[in-house]
Amino acid sequence: MTDSDSSDAGDRTTGKRLDVVALLDRYGIVIVIAVLGLLIYASQPDVFFTWRNITNILNQNSVHAILAIGMFMVILTAGIDLSVGSVLALSMMCLAVLSASMPWPVTLVIGPLVGSVAGFVNGVGITKLKMPHPFIMTLGMLFAARGLANIVSGGVPYSGLPDPVRFLGSARIPLGEWGGGMQSLPVVVVFVVALYIGFHIVFEHTVFGRRLYSIGGNPQAARVSGIDVDRHLIIVYTICGFMAGLAGLVMAGRTNSGFPNAGMGIELEAIAAVIIGGASFFGGRGTLIGVFGGVLVMGLINNGLNLNNVSVFYQQVLIGIIIVVAVSVDVFRRNVSTRK
Amino acid sequence: MIKSITQAFAASLVLGVAAGTASADAILVTTKGPGAGNPFWAAVEAGATAKAAELGVEIVILAPASESDVARQIAIIEDQMAKGLAGLVVAPTDPNALGPIIDQVKAEGIPVVFIDTLGINEGVTYIGTDNQVGAAIAAKYLCDNVEAGSDVAILQGIITQSTGKARADGSREGMAACGLNIVAEQTGEWDRAKGMTVMENIITGNPNIKGVFASNDNMALGAAEALKNANMLQDVVLVGFDANPDAAESILAGDMSATVAQNPYNMGALGVESVVKLGKGESLPAVIDTGTILVTSENAEEFK
Repeated sequence: MTDSDSSDAGDRTTGKRLDVVALLDRYGIVIVIAVLGLLIYASQPDVFFTWRNITNILNQNSVHAILAIGMFMVILTAGIDLSVGSVLALSMMCLAVLSASMPWPVTLVIGPLVGSVAGFVNGVGITKLKMPHPFIMTLGMLFAARGLANIVSGGVPYSGLPDPVRFLGSARIPLGEWGGGMQSLPVVVVFVVALYIGFHIVFEHTVFGRRLYSIGGNPQAARVSGIDVDRHLIIVYTICGFMAGLAGLVMAGRTNSGFPNAGMGIELEAIAAVIIGGASFFGGRGTLIGVFGGVLVMGLINNGLNLNNVSVFYQQVLIGIIIVVAVSVDVFRRNVSTRK
Repeated sequence: MIKSITQAFAASLVLGVAAGTASADAILVTTKGPGAGNPFWAAVEAGATAKAAELGVEIVILAPASESDVARQIAIIEDQMAKGLAGLVVAPTDPNALGPIIDQVKAEGIPVVFIDTLGINEGVTYIGTDNQVGAAIAAKYLCDNVEAGSDVAILQGIITQSTGKARADGSREGMAACGLNIVAEQTGEWDRAKGMTVMENIITGNPNIKGVFASNDNMALGAAEALKNANMLQDVVLVGFDANPDAAESILAGDMSATVAQNPYNMGALGVESVVKLGKGESLPAVIDTGTILVTSENAEEFK
């Protein structure tokens, strides 16, 4: 996958079998998305490809998409961040509580700021306290941030946010009347696409991005070659926290409220999207475009089953199967690569 | 092969957009969890299904996996709106967070009613239990069966929800008014295991407890275990809320003393009937009480 994956560059020249594997690795997610899209289209031809439904899918999954950027960055360094759902809730509650007494510019920045602080604490804990695995530190943060979200708000949901704060999560760009009604594009969809383009450039075309791949691929080698691994990890977890705060701002805008239960379990959905998108859980491998594909796969499954009136229990089963299949493809691919 | 799939995908996209929307609109019934996981929602679904068959309207029943999955309930409503909706019967997972989407439903002229839990949107009829009245019924039972001046405790649900608050308020006012001594009010978050833990903690500090009101049966059943383990159950009047089948069994076995029955079947049936009425241009009262009754060993058999 791309130039970042230089160790596999030779695969394509070593035989037919490897070609298939490399192809699956590169385009597997596109095939999955195409098949899902066709299946849903076949079952709901009048609805699925309407502008409204497509923007629904993108809008509903914008929070996941934002979280998945941070989660991918963390997983790329062979880490994990279990706290993003709780940090999302904490950021959301802070901004909702403050919106009553503070001017809106303060409210607007407080969510991402709180998220960044939580992420920074994660990063410092992991590197300076020498936690055996990021799992531990971020598991601690999962509980602590959820508790703080309830303390900040007294466990009570807050509703009614100022319009500028809601803008990102709820505003729509009017596109005029066509296709059977007034159509619009949610601002957050544009925002998410811009974020993905920006971070794609960071991952693929900056020294920082390339260093993240090498830290994940082999932290020892990265250290020896003079990369300050700890400093990079702290930045990575801070960005992941920032993304959680940003996701909190979007969710608050979308629901015009802050509720302490927000984002419960969403960290697992973000991790699932990253894994389905082809990132390696061992670090050092994956692309942001793949991650976006992973988010879309999860979103399409939910949308398709909702449109076909299928119970949520089947959605859970399907997503479970897809995670396992995605990772087995990854394992199969690794085995083939090492056997050559 | 990939190329051809991509082409087919693109072709279907073009066709799909051209086709536009046209399908038979149904009424969406969305509760806080699937009926398969909770007898209460199963009864709502049964009532809605029966009423829809009677009126000859089509309904779709979809729910998020758990009550905390607010975003999923919003997504379900959005997805079904894209398909076209004749009406919406919703038990909001979070009344505040559902506010904007319900406003959008109203703006598109889709008839909507709340069942079970009151929403924040003005002008939307609420069909459900008057929980404060129900809790007052439970409090009266405790007043009648526990000696005045005795220590009693309240296991609260999640009091940030209107249901949890109404049950806490109704029971507190009722028991305080008849001279019972409320020594503890703690939340078990509607959960059986948490209800048990909280009860264990309460009886450690207050060994003379003679009466307990648990805001739902799950917590009451948890409390029954805690009291049984402490060998106190025979001396304590334990009242729950919801009248679920496990609680009915427990009352018949002599563990719990009473519970309060809501009427979830009515919520489903009246919910569907009401949106159909709205669709015909009729108007509804702001609140439709589906009623509560006290369940004791005399009538528990009906709720098994």
